[in-house]
Amino acid sequence: MTAPSRTGPQPSADDPRVMLDRDIGVFEPVPPYPPRTEREAEFYTLGDGQMLLNMGPQHPSTHGVLRVVLKLDGEKVVDLDPVLGYLHRGVEKLCENADYHQVISQVDPLEYISSLFCEWSPVIAFEKLLDVDVPRRAEYIRVLSGELNRIASHALFMGWFALDLGGLTPILWSFIERDEIVEMLAALTGQRMLFNYFRIGGVNGDLNHEFMSRLGDWMSRATKQIESNLTLLNQNEIFVRRARGLGVIDTAGALRMCMTGPNLRATGVPFDVRRAHPYSVYPELDFDVPTRTEGDSLARYLLRMEEIKQSIRIIDQCLHQMPDGPIMAKLPRLLRPRPGRAYAAIEGPRGQYSTYAISDGTDQPFRMRIHDPSFIHLQSVGVLMQNNLIADTMAIMASLDPVMGGVDK
Amino acid sequence: MDRALKGRLEARFGAMLAGPIRQRHDETEMRIGPGDVTEVLRALHDEPDFRFEMLSDLAGVDTGDHMQVVYHLWSDSTADWLRVIADGLSREDPRAPSATFLWKGAEWMEREAYDMFGITFEGNRDLRRIYMPPDYTSFPLRKDFLLPDDAARSPGGGVRHMERGHAPASRAEGSDAPDTIRRLGA
Repeated sequence: MTAPSRTGPQPSADDPRVMLDRDIGVFEPVPPYPPRTEREAEFYTLGDGQMLLNMGPQHPSTHGVLRVVLKLDGEKVVDLDPVLGYLHRGVEKLCENADYHQVISQVDPLEYISSLFCEWSPVIAFEKLLDVDVPRRAEYIRVLSGELNRIASHALFMGWFALDLGGLTPILWSFIERDEIVEMLAALTGQRMLFNYFRIGGVNGDLNHEFMSRLGDWMSRATKQIESNLTLLNQNEIFVRRARGLGVIDTAGALRMCMTGPNLRATGVPFDVRRAHPYSVYPELDFDVPTRTEGDSLARYLLRMEEIKQSIRIIDQCLHQMPDGPIMAKLPRLLRPRPGRAYAAIEGPRGQYSTYAISDGTDQPFRMRIHDPSFIHLQSVGVLMQNNLIADTMAIMASLDPVMGGVDK
Repeated sequence: MDRALKGRLEARFGAMLAGPIRQRHDETEMRIGPGDVTEVLRALHDEPDFRFEMLSDLAGVDTGDHMQVVYHLWSDSTADWLRVIADGLSREDPRAPSATFLWKGAEWMEREAYDMFGITFEGNRDLRRIYMPPDYTSFPLRKDFLLPDDAARSPGGGVRHMERGHAPASRAEGSDAPDTIRRLGA
């Protein structure tokens, strides 16, 4: 088909051929250049009856700014190509040009749903570089606030997931839970979302009265409240039937895709960094690592809900075992670690966050690599999506729980 | 520190090691040349005494003199993180074999390293930019890519300008190469 000539009779405004006349813009799914890689050539070559559909970057259920190009055969998704970078801020470069204390506020906005975990892994890596011993009270406060943040994140996941499957009620309920925890953490850290609370060698402030009273209040009814929230979805036949068998991945596939966290445990691998490679005071705490074997969206959902209960157990133990003492190690204001390398990984609500830090003896990290689980999990959407319907794309993506702030760094 | 792991690695990879095996805290570090990456990773992944089945991280590093690709692996056979450093990639044309034959999930991490450092991973089917736009030409995490307001490290203590026309007097008549880039000591 050729574009109508400009000199001849003008076609009517709703003639689809008019659209071919314009320049190819950002939202054209086909790249305006020859394919650069084997995979790109394969993806953008259309077979018989196939078409490309652009989803995003401003889509209400991409959990951030993400563009996905879908290759469709009828209503079935044959393949997809996520296009990232809309939120890229160059955090690693910024960290290399900030001093060690400033890094904490730079990494905070990565995973804005669970900021404490973004702070946690660089902080441990820097403590390893500096050979600092963190006071035990500070470690317990970290675990306590971290587990609260994990519950807030999982509670929000429940709402999101249901929303992407078409249910509006659960997100209203899950925000009740999340709001209470966020207010609690705001009393502790001074911020609702980007906490900037962990420090190299400890935490920024001790437990205070408002935090403790809010926490005690919430703990007295948390288990019951969460159980009742779960009945919204766990006994909802539409939800269960829709999520069961959706986006299945097996153990070998999950390991091959480098998946971690609940998404890996839903395939039956009991890999939890808190147990597999313990850090902080987790060896002293008693909790289980739940696993499931189905590897589908429902398993990933149920597993996260099980983890909420385990987190409540951990918080309960933290409150009983909380030692007295200082909350910060004695450190100079300007940190100059000896030249060396350190790697630290922690278990976040979405999987393994890790930091690889290199020091060259100055007050700024020479290199700081941030590994974010959302980035890895988003990659496996292509594997999970094969031969599912368009309507399931967002459901499967939501069941992996990626946060675009972390994906794009 | 897992002393036994050090012995096992030395016994298995003796000639391939490009430096001593270092251990600190809960990390064991081995250096190899970029040509041995495929063989070493395959051995670590497949052999029953190693079982490093999880690729925890893949990172590019620019030391100022050369490039590195750093793999962090986890196994249930040891309590340590294993860090494999593929060392000595040239800065002009850094090339390393891809790890996607073992871990498909390394694909995006390699794309990121390509985008940020320009490291070419041979065997990666989809090596294009992932964060930066397709028509972008620089590699932002290289050490000679300076932020315009990177004042902290400037020898004059002032703002370090990237544009030649705005360069401070001390650099104005020199070449457009940056005066100092951060280098990692040995």
